Amino acid sequence: MDQERRGQWLRGVLDVCVLALLARRESYGYELAQALDRAGLGQIQGGTLYPVLLRLQRTGLVAAHWRDGEAGPARKYYRLTPSGEEAVRRLSTDWRSFAGRVDALLMEEVTSP
Amino acid sequence: MRLLTVAEMALRELSRRRGVILLLLALPFVCYVVRHDQVGQSIRFVLLGLAWAVSTAALFAGGTSRQIEPRLRLSGYRSHHLYLGRLFAMWVLGLAVAAPFFALIAFDRGGQVRLGAVAAAMVLAVAVAAPFGLLIGAVVPRELEGTLILLVTISLQMMIDPADSITRLTPFWSSREIGTYAIDHTGTEYLVRGLTHGILATLLATVLVAVLSTIRLRTRPHLRYASR
Amino acid sequence: MTERGMSDQRWLHALGQELARHRFTPDVTHHVVAEAAAHLRDSGQPALRAFGTPEGYAAAVAESLASQRRQPRRPRGRVRLRASQITKRYGRRTVLKPTDLTVHAGEVAAVVGANGCGKSTFLRICAGLLSPDSGEVLVDGLLGYCPQEGGTYDFLLPEEHFVLVGAGRGFDRGRSRQLGRGGAATLHWDAAGDVQARHLSGGTRQKLNLVMATLGDPDVLLLDEPYQGFDRGTYLDFWQHVWRWRDEGRAIVVVTHLLNQLDQVDHVLDLTPGAREVAA
Repeated sequence: MDQERRGQWLRGVLDVCVLALLARRESYGYELAQALDRAGLGQIQGGTLYPVLLRLQRTGLVAAHWRDGEAGPARKYYRLTPSGEEAVRRLSTDWRSFAGRVDALLMEEVTSP
Repeated sequence: MRLLTVAEMALRELSRRRGVILLLLALPFVCYVVRHDQVGQSIRFVLLGLAWAVSTAALFAGGTSRQIEPRLRLSGYRSHHLYLGRLFAMWVLGLAVAAPFFALIAFDRGGQVRLGAVAAAMVLAVAVAAPFGLLIGAVVPRELEGTLILLVTISLQMMIDPADSITRLTPFWSSREIGTYAIDHTGTEYLVRGLTHGILATLLATVLVAVLSTIRLRTRPHLRYASR
Repeated sequence: MTERGMSDQRWLHALGQELARHRFTPDVTHHVVAEAAAHLRDSGQPALRAFGTPEGYAAAVAESLASQRRQPRRPRGRVRLRASQITKRYGRRTVLKPTDLTVHAGEVAAVVGANGCGKSTFLRICAGLLSPDSGEVLVDGLLGYCPQEGGTYDFLLPEEHFVLVGAGRGFDRGRSRQLGRGGAATLHWDAAGDVQARHLSGGTRQKLNLVMATLGDPDVLLLDEPYQGFDRGTYLDFWQHVWRWRDEGRAIVVVTHLLNQLDQVDHVLDLTPGAREVAA
């Protein structure tokens, strides 16, 4: 896949994906990056991920606190706030309807002679 | 306490200028050596050399602090802390420079002169030279002019006919009079005249320095501080 | 420590400095740096690959936290400096046409204009070092003044300067040294060494000048282009201190010919002939 386009698409939905991952359970930056990678979205660099987390924190969708790891240094854990949970529900509906329309458009384009 | 801090820093500053210290010592020494064949002249020349060296040092010390004194004034010093502190430092420096020459004369001519009077003449030479140098520095705009004025003063002092009554108006006449008392074993009137002149000259120069510094460092009338 | 560990440490340090320049509080800065450090340790990636340059990452963080950047400004305090109708001429040449400037506690005023337009003259008049031909200056509180150059003794050590200025302010030696060293440390300068002022670089000598001016926490700071000889980093740090002093409630007047800080100051006094306005 064209890396640049993939990056553009990802920038548009990265915050939604992060919110979705945090809806499952609280997590910290590196773990989120691994989860996104496993989900097939590719390697997200810290320089991209943390500004998104900071923005989500600033807008009150996630809350953060520092906790000691079982081994190793303290990590900053993020979890959804009630308004974050509300946002995930709304955004996933929005995304499905948006992606559905794009899908439909593309299907027509491909199947029509 | 503030006065002493100013004096201490002035002394620290001067003592690090090794070249200057060396020249301060060299000047009276050269004066002594070139007239060594004559007891009287050699001592008179040491006194003048000492006065010259100390007044020149004071002139330059006043010059270097001219830019800084206004900001020190702003940081809480009064004018008298600044000029008295500097004057005090110059006196200490002058006495430190004079001490080895006194030892030299005591060793070299100890039997021929009144040593107590030589010491008094040296103290007075230093006493007058320090405020005199600061005074010249306060009057003229640049150090070159100041140096030339000192040169003229000292030359005049060296060459003028001692009998001429105008010599009494020169700043270092006291050391000449006391010198005569010490060297030629004259009557005490020379000593008394010399002491009186030296003390008056010191006071006069100090008062003039005080007046000029206070004017230069005055709180300008356009600046008012809100009372709290 | 491995070579990579070393370079990551440097990267994190640089990030901290860049964040500070973006006017984040030490708290925010600390959290962002600690989080980046944890990420580097977990991922094992080199910092440059994971986060890019410290400048770039700090800018991205700054954008994310845009609304938190500026601390809420306190309401301005009382008038600390009021210069009214100041004029000055040298011979036939008019240096200052009637000039006014009022600075409240917690405000920064920048004095700008071409060379020779009377910026330093105006500041010296405000400090009371020079008499104007007319007008008056009212100062409420302690004055600190940093000259453009030549405010130091060549043969004295930095600490001796602190003692000298401190004694004027009424501090004993220990306190003066402590305050001076502290002030120097905030400018990333270790003033404890025994280097005479004449051997300091131009920029470091200006730091000495600045520390002398701010010793004893004056309420009104008059700074005459005190950053000459600073490198870029130190220059930016200097402005951080200006903002900090402002947030501490001081009234600050800075003479400057560099215009890129002007959007953040409270007043701009342009002394260029013809341009006479005070913007808020």
